[in-house]
Amino acid sequence: INPQHLQPVAAMLGRIASARRLMAGAASARVRAFSAPAAASAAASNKIEVFVDGNPVQCDPGMTVLQACALAGVEIPRFCYHERLSIAGNCRMCLVEVEKSIKPVASCAMPVMKGMRVKTDSPMTRKAREGVMEFLLVNHPLDCPICDQGGECDLQDQSMVFGSDRSRFTDNLHDGKRATIMTRCIHCTRCVRFASEVAGVEDLGTTGRGNDMQIGTYVEKLFRSELSGNVIDLCPVGALTSKPYSFTARPWELSRVESVDVMDALGSNITVSSRTNEVMRVIPRLHDGINEEWISDKTRFAYDGLKRQRLVAPMLRRSGNLTDSDWPDALHEVARRLSASRESPDQTAVLAGPFADAESLTALKDLVNAAQSELVCTEEAFPGCTDLRSAYLMNSRIAGVEDADLVLLVGTNPRYEAPVLNARLRKCWLHNELLVASFDLSYTYDHLGDSPETLLRLADGSHPFAKTLAAAKRPLVLLGSEALCRPDGRALHSAALQLSELLRQKMKAANPEEADWRVFNLLHRVASQVAALDLGYRAGPESIRAAKPRLLFLLGADAGLIKRTDLASDAYVVYIGSHGDNGAAIADAVLPGVAFTEKNATYVNTEGRAQQTRLAVSSPGAAREDWKIVRALSELAGAPLPYDNLNQVRARMAQIAPHLTRYDSVEEANYFSQCLQLAKSPGDAKLDAAPIRLSLMDLPDFYMTDAISRSSLTMAKCVQAASKPTKY
Amino acid sequence: MSSTGGTLIRQAVKEAKPVFSATSEDARRRVLNLYRAWFRQLPYIIREYDVPLTLPMCRRKLRENFEKYRQVNDIRVIDLLVAKGQMELVETAHMWKQKTHVMDYFKQTVSPKPTDFLGKFFDGKEP
Repeated sequence: INPQHLQPVAAMLGRIASARRLMAGAASARVRAFSAPAAASAAASNKIEVFVDGNPVQCDPGMTVLQACALAGVEIPRFCYHERLSIAGNCRMCLVEVEKSIKPVASCAMPVMKGMRVKTDSPMTRKAREGVMEFLLVNHPLDCPICDQGGECDLQDQSMVFGSDRSRFTDNLHDGKRATIMTRCIHCTRCVRFASEVAGVEDLGTTGRGNDMQIGTYVEKLFRSELSGNVIDLCPVGALTSKPYSFTARPWELSRVESVDVMDALGSNITVSSRTNEVMRVIPRLHDGINEEWISDKTRFAYDGLKRQRLVAPMLRRSGNLTDSDWPDALHEVARRLSASRESPDQTAVLAGPFADAESLTALKDLVNAAQSELVCTEEAFPGCTDLRSAYLMNSRIAGVEDADLVLLVGTNPRYEAPVLNARLRKCWLHNELLVASFDLSYTYDHLGDSPETLLRLADGSHPFAKTLAAAKRPLVLLGSEALCRPDGRALHSAALQLSELLRQKMKAANPEEADWRVFNLLHRVASQVAALDLGYRAGPESIRAAKPRLLFLLGADAGLIKRTDLASDAYVVYIGSHGDNGAAIADAVLPGVAFTEKNATYVNTEGRAQQTRLAVSSPGAAREDWKIVRALSELAGAPLPYDNLNQVRARMAQIAPHLTRYDSVEEANYFSQCLQLAKSPGDAKLDAAPIRLSLMDLPDFYMTDAISRSSLTMAKCVQAASKPTKY
Repeated sequence: MSSTGGTLIRQAVKEAKPVFSATSEDARRRVLNLYRAWFRQLPYIIREYDVPLTLPMCRRKLRENFEKYRQVNDIRVIDLLVAKGQMELVETAHMWKQKTHVMDYFKQTVSPKPTDFLGKFFDGKEP
């Protein structure tokens, strides 16, 4: 058979396959398709050889020509093709010449065939690209000087490299339409595919055909997604741009700092762009182990909260009101209280909030321990024993969900607690997975119940779903940390551990080669929790309530869990934090700390991966780094902590928990059966019959959850927009 | 082999070329001359620059600046220091400087940078 006849058919097959995947997303049908490892091992043996510009490349069958060229080190220009989205093949920018083919082929949609000879820089290819470019620019407004995408625009860059120097179209219609930025759209449909495939919101779509095609929501409707901001990065032109960032800065004026997000416990990798000592925008950074290339809207847009409600000067409460003070006065006052409270044991306490970094946690723990107290606590409760890390980590890692074939979500709504993880779960659900959950996710799931007893019934096999669970090859149990804040949290934790251990043993017996698959996973809500538990903090404020200390340090603790009535009558409350939120309101002394964009600090994400935030802008007013405040205080109180700079604090941190300074590596945790024994040890903990209720159940709940997002105007507007009843 | 080795050794033990002075006595003479020249110029500096300084203050400062390099005993370094001192003197004597530059020797308005942690913390500037 002449290979010429084969090619279009193969291309069509590829298109159908991708269309089917799209349909799966659209119809919300459950897919438990191919098993990935088997396909990979088969592929290893039969590689296909193709030639890119004469150089031979070995590639897997099913790869596209564009991917084969990438293997050969040749980047093909493209607009619609995106690695993490399905293939559309509609921009035609990736046309290349293939020998023995009359027409140039769209390389992003054409699968490779044996012996194919691709020419990426032939006259035919170049002419094809130039032609496509010319058509794209027919109706594209030439407003690059005022366009937000200017300077980082794919269309701009590619027209410079591949385009013609002039257009033959003289009848273009740029009259008065330039203000509406959808005139810039080149119909690549990346945003539409993102919405339906990754975000799971089917609202974006196209209307009209050809030149009259429009991207939109058909009717005026909100793009209700917690991941909506990612379409800004996906859009290759300036059609979809960031509203808070619009017309504020140009990409070449920004200084970029690679940092880590602290809005949820995933630690998504971000780039913080700043200009004139102001954070101008936050965009995602690639990390295949954590966020791939997405970030949630809270991560992306809450940065304006870093400019509002900030504490800029130390304050002391005088005759009932907080009044501005200076550092020597404020620190001497607090040091005097500290010297008094350390006379007797357990009179000094710490409550750490969601944004506490490992350095300041270390310093405060050392300070309080030196003051004869063990009352170092976090706001977020965790009822179980924290001696073994496997009890409170996402043991199979974030990327591990891709290998799982069944996920059991217990007391968690990852859609709003960890949107990027949810996107990954959704991806796996689309391609190779079955999911089980009890909440409103962006994909279908089996609702097993909302009562904690369901866990016990799953374990003893009386639940109808238990059979499916037992049949799973690589099951995952994902327990949410909010459910553990219930009074019966301890029993819930041990029930989930028990079920996981049961599944693990069963799985191990069935196929021993999967022996190190980890079933039990905990999904935290706040960025500081894992580092705090690693450093030996107690979870939850109960022990503070019980001890009624005379001096309490709130390290960015704004949830209002401790009231004045929980403390001794003459108690002194010191707030160290960046925002004037609930915690600062009840404090007697307010010591201004810095936010995560203003310090080099360590955070550990829910899978136990230590990462650093980097200093992007300097601190406002008289604010100082949190650990330095603690260090200065210790000196004024007469017992200086033995570290003066960041390296020394980190050396101390490494003494307590060495993995905290091994950045971007995940320290594995094990001992699951011992962990279960520890969790069960009290024996008498009973499960509550009350159904599990979570706080983040709907989109408006997602936007404002902490001091930074509460101070953010953008987030307030999001809540307002998302709370409006929808007409359609 | 032997020739390159010989070159290396010769380079290593090569006598440093003198800047001005051949011996340390020579260098000492130059230093004392410079000191004397400054010493004699001081009353004129005070008068011409109209600085709020007294002669004893200036003499103390002069001595202090020479004492700063007391431990230097490399002749070439001494010679270069003398040359720089000479240039300073010429610039001062010719009125190429202004009042602030003369007062700059006394650093009256400069507060010393804190070196301890607490000092730096209150100062608010990162080291």
